[in-house]
Amino acid sequence: MCDWCEKYGDGYERWYFNPANYARRLYKIRREEAESSGAETNPQAAGGMAVIGPDFQEARDQGDLEKMQEIKQKAEAASWLTHFGQVITLEEALKIADMIYPIGLMTCSCRRSMQGYPSEENFTCMGMGPGMYKWERWPDTYRGGMHYLTPDEAKEVITKMNKRGLVQTVFTFGTPYLAGLCNCDYPDCAFIRTTVDFGIKLLWKGHYVAKIDPELCTGCASCVSRCQFKALNYSPSKNMAYIDQFQCFGCGLCVTECDQGAISLVERAKLPALANVW
Amino acid sequence: MLPTITVDDEKCGDPLSCRKCLLICQTHVLGLGTSVGVKKYRETDPQYFVVRGVRFDKCTGCMDCVEVCPNNAIQVSFSEGGAR
Repeated sequence: MCDWCEKYGDGYERWYFNPANYARRLYKIRREEAESSGAETNPQAAGGMAVIGPDFQEARDQGDLEKMQEIKQKAEAASWLTHFGQVITLEEALKIADMIYPIGLMTCSCRRSMQGYPSEENFTCMGMGPGMYKWERWPDTYRGGMHYLTPDEAKEVITKMNKRGLVQTVFTFGTPYLAGLCNCDYPDCAFIRTTVDFGIKLLWKGHYVAKIDPELCTGCASCVSRCQFKALNYSPSKNMAYIDQFQCFGCGLCVTECDQGAISLVERAKLPALANVW
Repeated sequence: MLPTITVDDEKCGDPLSCRKCLLICQTHVLGLGTSVGVKKYRETDPQYFVVRGVRFDKCTGCMDCVEVCPNNAIQVSFSEGGAR
């Protein structure tokens, strides 16, 4: 079982369907000093490197496995306590949009820091819950401003992002408080990149794993460009898509792209070898 | 082999609107941070944005960023045995 569902699910099918995890009582008033002296303002932390410094890259370059493991464990522990994410499917994201209010569309700080996108081209992130009412206090975090969305508008925006090829994710801000619904891609999402490049799990895999029906797959390969996790390729010898299910994050982007209906999502929990691969 | 990537912040005035180096890098090594903290009720002035080689483990040493910088603010070097 997913650790977070076990700890914070409280009987709900998923921890992110438990309304208590979005509740006001979990919202922490942002402290001025603690935040401004934190890693997020460190230039080296640009691109969401907040919990991993250059020492990890150096340790890996030197083949220092022990050091790498030590940094990984420390970074994961810190992230899981304060700010980490999990991949969700489009369907799950739409369900959340119906649960939580308010939802605000804002600019993505990862993409700003990695590509310097102008605000008007960068509205891909969503904030949820009581924190959104305070956004004007922190104009730098909400650079570009905030568009409040009705549940229907939010669902429309999420569906459009999915169509564009962006992965839906939820993020904690002081675990288990859920306040971010992001639409991410490799390599500019700091969380996807750190997780995929370094194997440091700041982004948990979702509750599903994609599966190909060999009878239905025509080998058109339209799904291949959808995978942001290096889990999907086209095999010319089979003339079919191939999914590395151990690497699959279960976002379902390949599923929504397949015109043949050849890809489906199966529950991670039902596959013994994958049930604990997060 | 890891590179040493240095950026002269004095020469690099407004990377958020220039962004030439960010866009030219094949492997998205460079990233923006700020040299000041996040302040309440205030947006960080673009002059305080800085470029760093955040994902330097993916630097191939192509020098495209060095060449594209209009202010010659970026230096990239590789030295045998020495990490950064």
